[in-house]
Amino acid sequence: MPETLAPRRRPRAGRVLLHVVVVLGALVMFFPFLWALITSVSPGSGLSTTPSLVPQNPSLGAYVELFGRLPFLRVTLNSLGLALGATVAQLFTASTAAYAFSRLEFRGRGVLFAVYLATMMIPLQVLIVPLFVEMKMLGLIDTYLGALLPTLSSAFGVFLLRQAVNQVPRELDEAATIDGAGHLRIFSRIVLPNIRPALATLAVFAFMSSWNSFLWPLIILRSTELQTLPVALQSLQGQYTTQWDVVMAGSVVSILPMLAIYVFAQQYVIQGVATSGIK
Amino acid sequence: MTATSETTSPTARTVAAIAPRDTLRRRRGRTTTLWALAFLLPSAVPLILFTLVPMAGAGWISLHEWNLIGDMEWVGLANYADLLTDPATRAAFGHTLYYLAGYLPLVFVGGLFLALALNTALRGRSLLRGVYFLPVVTSWIVVALVWRWLLNPSIGVVNWTLALVGIDGPGWWTDPAWSMPSIILASAWKDLGFVMVILLAGLQSIPVELVEAARVDGAGWWRRLVSVVLPLLSPSTFFVLVISLINGFQVFDQVYAMTGGGPNGSSDVVVLRIHSLAFRYGEAGDASALSWLLFVVVLAITLVQVRGQRRWVTYA
Amino acid sequence: MNRTAFARLGAGVLAATIVLAGCSSSSDTTDTTDTTDTGAAEDSVTVTYTNFISNGGNEENLDTIVAAFEEANPGVTVDVTTLAYADYATALQTDLAAGTVADVFDIEYANYAAYQSSGVLAELTGVDGSVFTPSLLETYQTDGAQYALPSSFSNVVLYYNTDLFDAAGLAYPDASWTWADEQAAAEALTDAEAGVFGDYQPISYYEFYKALVQNGAAFLSDDGSTVAFNTPEGIEAAQWLIGKSGTVMPTAEQGAGTPDFDSGLFTEGKLAMWHSGIWMFGALADAPAAWDIAVEPGNTTQASAMFSNALAVSATSEHPEQAQAWAEFLAGSPTAAQVRLDAGWELPPIADEALLATYLDKGAPANRQAVFDSLENVALPPVIGDKQNEMVDIINAQLTEAAAGRMTAAEAIAEAEAQINALLAD
Repeated sequence: MPETLAPRRRPRAGRVLLHVVVVLGALVMFFPFLWALITSVSPGSGLSTTPSLVPQNPSLGAYVELFGRLPFLRVTLNSLGLALGATVAQLFTASTAAYAFSRLEFRGRGVLFAVYLATMMIPLQVLIVPLFVEMKMLGLIDTYLGALLPTLSSAFGVFLLRQAVNQVPRELDEAATIDGAGHLRIFSRIVLPNIRPALATLAVFAFMSSWNSFLWPLIILRSTELQTLPVALQSLQGQYTTQWDVVMAGSVVSILPMLAIYVFAQQYVIQGVATSGIK
Repeated sequence: MTATSETTSPTARTVAAIAPRDTLRRRRGRTTTLWALAFLLPSAVPLILFTLVPMAGAGWISLHEWNLIGDMEWVGLANYADLLTDPATRAAFGHTLYYLAGYLPLVFVGGLFLALALNTALRGRSLLRGVYFLPVVTSWIVVALVWRWLLNPSIGVVNWTLALVGIDGPGWWTDPAWSMPSIILASAWKDLGFVMVILLAGLQSIPVELVEAARVDGAGWWRRLVSVVLPLLSPSTFFVLVISLINGFQVFDQVYAMTGGGPNGSSDVVVLRIHSLAFRYGEAGDASALSWLLFVVVLAITLVQVRGQRRWVTYA
Repeated sequence: MNRTAFARLGAGVLAATIVLAGCSSSSDTTDTTDTTDTGAAEDSVTVTYTNFISNGGNEENLDTIVAAFEEANPGVTVDVTTLAYADYATALQTDLAAGTVADVFDIEYANYAAYQSSGVLAELTGVDGSVFTPSLLETYQTDGAQYALPSSFSNVVLYYNTDLFDAAGLAYPDASWTWADEQAAAEALTDAEAGVFGDYQPISYYEFYKALVQNGAAFLSDDGSTVAFNTPEGIEAAQWLIGKSGTVMPTAEQGAGTPDFDSGLFTEGKLAMWHSGIWMFGALADAPAAWDIAVEPGNTTQASAMFSNALAVSATSEHPEQAQAWAEFLAGSPTAAQVRLDAGWELPPIADEALLATYLDKGAPANRQAVFDSLENVALPPVIGDKQNEMVDIINAQLTEAAAGRMTAAEAIAEAEAQINALLAD
């Protein structure tokens, strides 16, 4: 494991202090999840003035109700499908664009990159109406494709991967060129394997962004068979009252796949350098 | 693609050495452009169709008065003029800048610290990394509720802790003076994991040999950090700064969930104002115009950053 | 990743999108016209209906009503889309903007004027008005023409904890009470040390316009061009609301205004009196404390807040007749009314007293008659079209400032007047 900072003979005290600080911080970080978990097993719990860390009358009733009230499997599969589609697509579109911006010198490259960045600078709230009209013209209202298409490419991903590609030494490219490799081979054999941590990172963020996205799926998907998880969870909050334990149960359940993806991707983030072939 | 074989085979290279340079440069330039087109197309097409076109649509709307449900009425640049003279616009930008000034340093320094700490051989660091990432994947519904509870002036943990040291805790999100700091705290806390993950990925790609060499040369950990690690991390830190600024200017979810812009508009940020204008006040034209104003500001700042990167960002 | 892997990946993405596109086409039935294999194919019509009123537990009740309608009207199918209340407005506005709105859709009274003046509501002709409560029907008329049909209504009453009243030996609230009576009882029943509060009334626009009427004041001038609440009576009304905070009611800092805070207090028996809507009956059914309701006390006049939802037919609907038939059925048919009453799903807007009488025997609270008594004096909210929400936000902001002690009631009123007048003048 690369240890960029830890010296071999650092005073014990410093190490321990660091560890303590980090663990304390982690407890603070873990707190909302813990609280959501506890609320979800406390039946009939409102967000009253006396929240406690010990569940009163713990029961799984909220989860039963959750799966009963929502077509949970369907909704989760919808979210999963869209998130996987977005992730795979973004890995492809962002890496190819990153290669172009990093390795290919063409006229207007800087301006084009600025245009890419610019697509991140208009809030979705304002794009929704014109985008919806556009989808209507394409006949894609209330379809998976309509929900998926705007997520196929993201400037965030392009930017992230461009930074990563920039860090892959050009000597590797040149070595491959001498051996007769063209752009495609350099891209797939040299660049991609060397940016694995960034690819894994992008995969996590692309998945998360699609999984948690609310506003666009709300507007574009209307039929109950097509709805995604965040939208379905929102419907648990009634006009006048809300069953908070059920809402929390929903939140807990929706976090789990995300965590799984993150844990899975972590391995790739770490493996990166060891097998990349940098010297 | 037959054109490329000219420039990559050894024979071609010899030929290139002899043949007139400008023809070859032109030819190489053209083929490079073709390659660039090929590599850019997958990402460009969705962006053009589903972001740039709606952006233009939003620009078109900004030239009209529209409540979304009735007809559009042409007003030219009147919306822009109104917005620029409206004190609420200035207030919204002011609050947004206030947010950034508090949020950026917190999240960046904290995230950097975490990434460095969790990159060392700390016991249980995989678990710790996962835990720090938890807030990032938790929805704002949950996080906003938790923080409103934590920052509850009478029964919240924060004020209780402050009382232990004799400080009379403020009203937090119920107090106009403290609503923005409440949001800043919650946001920085939630996004620490995000910065950590990005910087961790960046740290992973720093060749160990370089850091080792510095250590062997007798550099202490601070020296190694400042002279070797940070400069080599600069592409990632540059990324974090640009993205955090772009996202920070568009902060919305947490404000909407925690304070709704209140009390009394004290935490009204630009995108919240845009949302209210479009969907609550029936002013879609103003909303679009405001978002274009925001766009100009964000673009200007980002361009300055991009230009400035030459000075401090080093690529391998 | 090598080239073949990449190619496989690309193919996978392509395949995935094709599959998804294929899956999606089967659900593209939102505005197609069904043609069945009957002889009268041209009579088969699908009416689309978007709603929020059935969300949160009443979806099956709505299905029952739909089934009954389809049985009575062969050849017409109703295609229902249900959205959560919080998101409904955004979705509806986007639909109207893009021209994809359903044939029939829900609206609230507060938005009626804005939608009607924008021309998106179809005029409903030939409606059998006798079925509906006259005042509710009139609410959705403009210049004598009917633009929507009331589908349900609910109102706000005074809940009170009978156990707490008994323990203190106080008489229960009744129709003769005024603000002074309520204040006296609230003070007597507040026990700060035990964490018991005497009276909870949300400090918001919705209580404010009602308090104005209860005190003989008005929100808007007669011609609606300026605000009319900056008078001694208006300030008194504001003071009535904000004065409670910190005395007989928890402050915002103590949690007032947070979701479910008030219902939690009342259920736990820590609140003696509570201004809330009749929609809470179901939630309080299992409350340990004994409770009942009374008509809200006024000051110089008695006035209660009433909220209603309505059904509108889209002006661009391709099947206006069938759409209107569905709207009339859902709003005023005996079937729909019975389903509502049985399920406790708000109140049907019908004039049939015999049918409504069954509502009185549905369990707690005992004094359900108060719900109908409250309808005798209704405080209608001021409606100003497009600027409605801005006005609501201004009032809420100023009242909150006053309740927190950062402004006096008079200052809050004056500030609200200035801002709203500027809004109206625009």
